[in-house]
Amino acid sequence: MNWLDIIIPLMVALASVVLAFWARRVLFEAFTRWAQKVKWQGANIVTESTYGVFHLWLLLLGIYVALRVSKLSSGLVTFLGQLFASLFIISLALVVINITQRMLQLFSGKSRLPEASITVLYNIIRIAIAAVAILIFLDIWGVPVTPILVAIAALILVGLVALRDTMPNLFAGFQLAGEGKIKEGDFIRLESGEKGYVVEMNRSTTAIKTLSDELLLIPNSKLIRTTVINYGRPLKQAKQPFHFCSHLHLHELTGLKATNLRELVNVLKNVPDSVIYYHTHNFLEEQQYLTPAPPNDFAPWVSDVLGDEILGEKLASIDTIAFPTLSSLKTRIVNVIEEHIGQSVDLRKAPEGREFYFLKSLGVVTSTNYVAHDLREFIEVLRQIPANSLYFHIFESRLRLSKGMNDFSIWLADSLEEKDLADAIAQLDPYHYTLEGLRSTVIQLIEKRIK
Amino acid sequence: MKIQDYIPIVGRSTIEELYLLAEKLSGKVVLNVNSTLTGGGVAEILNRMVPLLNQLGVDARWEVIKGNDRFFQVTKKFHNALHGLREDITPEDFDVFADVSRKNIDEVKLNGDVFFIHDPQPIMLVNKRNEVGGKWLWRCHIDISHAEEKVWRFLRDFVVKYDAAVFTAPSFSRELPVRQFMIAPSIDPLSDKNRDLPTDTIEAILAKYHIGNEKPIVTQISRFDRLKDPVGVIQAFEQVRRSFDCQLILAGGSATDDPESEEVLKEVEERAGGNPDIHILTIPPNSDMEINALQRASTIIVQKSLREGFGLTVTEALWKAKPVVATAVGGIPLQVRNKFTGLISHGIEGTAYAIKQLLSNPEYARSLGQNGREHVKQNFLITRHLAEYMLLFLALGRQEEIIYL
Repeated sequence: MNWLDIIIPLMVALASVVLAFWARRVLFEAFTRWAQKVKWQGANIVTESTYGVFHLWLLLLGIYVALRVSKLSSGLVTFLGQLFASLFIISLALVVINITQRMLQLFSGKSRLPEASITVLYNIIRIAIAAVAILIFLDIWGVPVTPILVAIAALILVGLVALRDTMPNLFAGFQLAGEGKIKEGDFIRLESGEKGYVVEMNRSTTAIKTLSDELLLIPNSKLIRTTVINYGRPLKQAKQPFHFCSHLHLHELTGLKATNLRELVNVLKNVPDSVIYYHTHNFLEEQQYLTPAPPNDFAPWVSDVLGDEILGEKLASIDTIAFPTLSSLKTRIVNVIEEHIGQSVDLRKAPEGREFYFLKSLGVVTSTNYVAHDLREFIEVLRQIPANSLYFHIFESRLRLSKGMNDFSIWLADSLEEKDLADAIAQLDPYHYTLEGLRSTVIQLIEKRIK
Repeated sequence: MKIQDYIPIVGRSTIEELYLLAEKLSGKVVLNVNSTLTGGGVAEILNRMVPLLNQLGVDARWEVIKGNDRFFQVTKKFHNALHGLREDITPEDFDVFADVSRKNIDEVKLNGDVFFIHDPQPIMLVNKRNEVGGKWLWRCHIDISHAEEKVWRFLRDFVVKYDAAVFTAPSFSRELPVRQFMIAPSIDPLSDKNRDLPTDTIEAILAKYHIGNEKPIVTQISRFDRLKDPVGVIQAFEQVRRSFDCQLILAGGSATDDPESEEVLKEVEERAGGNPDIHILTIPPNSDMEINALQRASTIIVQKSLREGFGLTVTEALWKAKPVVATAVGGIPLQVRNKFTGLISHGIEGTAYAIKQLLSNPEYARSLGQNGREHVKQNFLITRHLAEYMLLFLALGRQEEIIYL
């Protein structure tokens, strides 16, 4: 045996290792400097993950170069080359998987991405790296990889078809989490009208709790494609939530009617409060679109049917809001008519079929699913409740349920300590608005307060 | 028709309210009884309302009483007499009514919690209430304020056995010892008679009747009946025509089965005297879309009735945002609030004056029309009707003035 055949490869191996070690040092120093310059937190992960294994790679490199210059049989050189290349590929795959895992941990810490999403993403990447490594490994050992590649491509295709609905939501979930513009606890409203508090964001859907306490699951892909208004975090919570009720009514006939002023006033004196309530509020409910609506049924009957416009005007100008109870309102109406009769000798009679028929209102109160815990929720519910609900809380509760004040003001003052806002709403004269006008005025007052 | 189809018209919250009420009726069976499945206003209403109630989840059912020709001749007489017309009603007529009713009491399946009996024909079924239990309601669709006393006294004995009676307008009712409610009828905004129509369809129907749309159109839709005063409408139109270039449409159902109607039609044609601006149209039955188109093509709708039921033709006109001139009879004052949702007139001159006022003030006319549409939307659509029926079923037997459900 020629000693040179052994020494030369050894010297080459040694030189290669020394050169490689020097190159590694230069490379790592340059990388560290660059990382410090751009302040990339991932640099540490890369250096820590590769530092130890780099020694193995340099050693493999040195041995591989030595083998190439050695006089060993070409078959043995090829075999050892394949072995070292395989070792390199395996270790490289492990390093890349390690780096990926640590990078994802770093990324998830910043993005608040759900843990489940991170796990899914990590598994996908790990499988992809392992697959590539196996393919290269097989290629090194001369195994044909084309059929495997075709099989993998087919599998991926099948997977994509199977997950065609899930994938867009999954990626949208990554995008939402990455942007961080919507977070759990936020109150959001979608362009299509859905609104509520975000209670959970997972890899495919975002769950929002509506004001009527329903849970809506919105696909993430929808959420990134639509316009979303994010109102942010909840405001101060009320001591007691406001439960919205609605009100409907039936018209009950009393069988009583009047053909002139004397009959009108005589019947009025003896009717229950529900009759007074009906004839001073019916117009308001039935003709919500008129502003100002005629304040009671008596005024237009006296003006149009009896032709007494002076008394009609007096009755129309009775300010319902000024009366705390229905009986005081009744007394005022009776007094106005009696005073007028006292000054007039002419008791005109209504033509047949146009008599004044006394009806009473039978109120039916139903609870709704709408609840408000803070001012923002309150505004949102106010926007969508039926006009009947608004009517109930503003008119019916003050006068018919004898609370003396509307329900909104009572709740604002007692449960939210919003005394000024409560007073501002209580001071409105609701009889001078249409119900829709009243709705938007109350909303504006609360919006002003929130701002 | 699906209940959800009404959301674009009345809003989601109104439909939610209906579901809420329906839920409260869960487990209750509401049995409607009338005298026919087809033909007439009551069957038309039930044909629409029962399926909608079912969709909401209310177990509403519908039974029909049986009767022979003689029975229905008697009930027709009753109907006319209740409307205040003179009818020769003999003791035998009452016997026929009672005999057939007794047979129906034995044969009609009365299973339910609420029995909703429509009009006089099945009124005697209430005699079975002790046996079947439940709450009993009598729904009177007729104006009985001028009812012939003999017939009314006969029916009253049965009405007082009900828990409550329901009338269409306050003026239609009578003094009764039982509770009385007022529930107005309604129109269906999605029916052929009321749904939106494309301009092409409207123009094609005008062309079919050789009516141009270059001049303003004043229209009265009603059968040819003296109580609808079609001659009075022509007289008012002639007064308007002196100062406004406009045309008149008088359109009503064809009148082959009603000799009086043919007579009135002849009178109307004679009074029109071949005036090319007056179009007298006899519309065949089931031509709802044609009526719809004529109303939509009109500039002003008139209803100059001398007597009227609720006046659903007025409701239809208001729903189409048309300015209306109408007399204050029957249910019209509930719909046309003078100077708010239309104009009320009393005579020929007043009607002519109101039409001229609207023709010369299109903005004013438009605002009345818009108010009219809103008024109907809030008070006279089928959704409100459903709500009130359900409220009524729920309120039966409750004496409080405010009921918490």
